[in-house]
Amino acid sequence: MEIGEERTAGALVIVPVGRVDSVSSGELERHVVARLDAGERRVVIDMAGVEYISSAGLRVLLVAAKRLKPPAGALVLCGLGPGVRTVLELAGFTSLFAVEPARAQALARVEAQASA
Amino acid sequence: MNAGETRRLSVPATDAGIKAALDALESLWAAQGVSRAVTWPVEVSLDEVLANVVRHGLAGRGESAQVELELQLEPGDPPRCEVRIEDDGPEFDPLAAAAPDISLGVDERPIGGLGIELVRRLMDEVHYERKAGRNSLRLVRRLVAMEQ
Repeated sequence: MEIGEERTAGALVIVPVGRVDSVSSGELERHVVARLDAGERRVVIDMAGVEYISSAGLRVLLVAAKRLKPPAGALVLCGLGPGVRTVLELAGFTSLFAVEPARAQALARVEAQASA
Repeated sequence: MNAGETRRLSVPATDAGIKAALDALESLWAAQGVSRAVTWPVEVSLDEVLANVVRHGLAGRGESAQVELELQLEPGDPPRCEVRIEDDGPEFDPLAAAAPDISLGVDERPIGGLGIELVRRLMDEVHYERKAGRNSLRLVRRLVAMEQ
C-alpha cells in the first residue's frame, strides 16, 4: 500500500492505494492519526485505488470517524469500488459514513458539513 | 483457464508471513488468469483468518510458529477456490464466536470484532476442525461477483 495526499483550500484528501489489510492498515492508521493530531478537521479519504479492505482497515476508518464527528470535524469517503463498498455494507459501516462517488463531490460535501 | 492448481506453503506467524500468504494468493490468481474483481472476498477472508491466528492463537511465538496453507483453484464456470489454514495454537473455533452488533452508531461501535463475521458472510462455506492438536479452517468460495 502507498499513501498519497492532496491538500485543497478546505480539506485534506488522503489517498491509500493497494491492499488495506491487517499488515498495511497499521501504516494507514499512523498516517491518519498523525494528520488528526496535527489539527486536520476536514478530511476526505479517496479509496479509488484500494484493491480491497479487511476489518483492520475498517478499524482505521472508524478511528477517524470517531475523531472527526460533526460539528467539530468532517469525514467523507469516496471512490469506493464494488469490493470496498460490499465490505463496508456487510460490516454495517455505510450508515456510519458520508460516502460520495468521487473526489469532487466528497470535497463539496466535507466543506458543506464543516460549515453546517 | 488452465487445469487448476494447488499451492502449499508454510509462513511464519508474523506480519511478513501474512504478507507472503496474500502475495501467494495474488500470484495464484495471476497464474490462472482469474480477475481480482471476483477474488477479493478470498483475500479479505484469508487476511482476517491469518490476523486472528498470528495476533491471538500464535501470539508471541513469532518466527518459531508456522501456519500451513493450502490454496486451491479448480477451473469451472465459475471457478471454485478452497483455502485451508492450519496452525498448532490453542483450540479456537472462530465459528463459535458471537456475531457482532452491526447496527450500533459511531460512538457505541466497538473497534474490532468484525473480521470473523466478514469471513462468514464472504465465503460460501467455512469449516472448522480440531485434529491432532491443530486448528484447521477451510474456506470455500465459488468465484462469482458479489452482488449487494
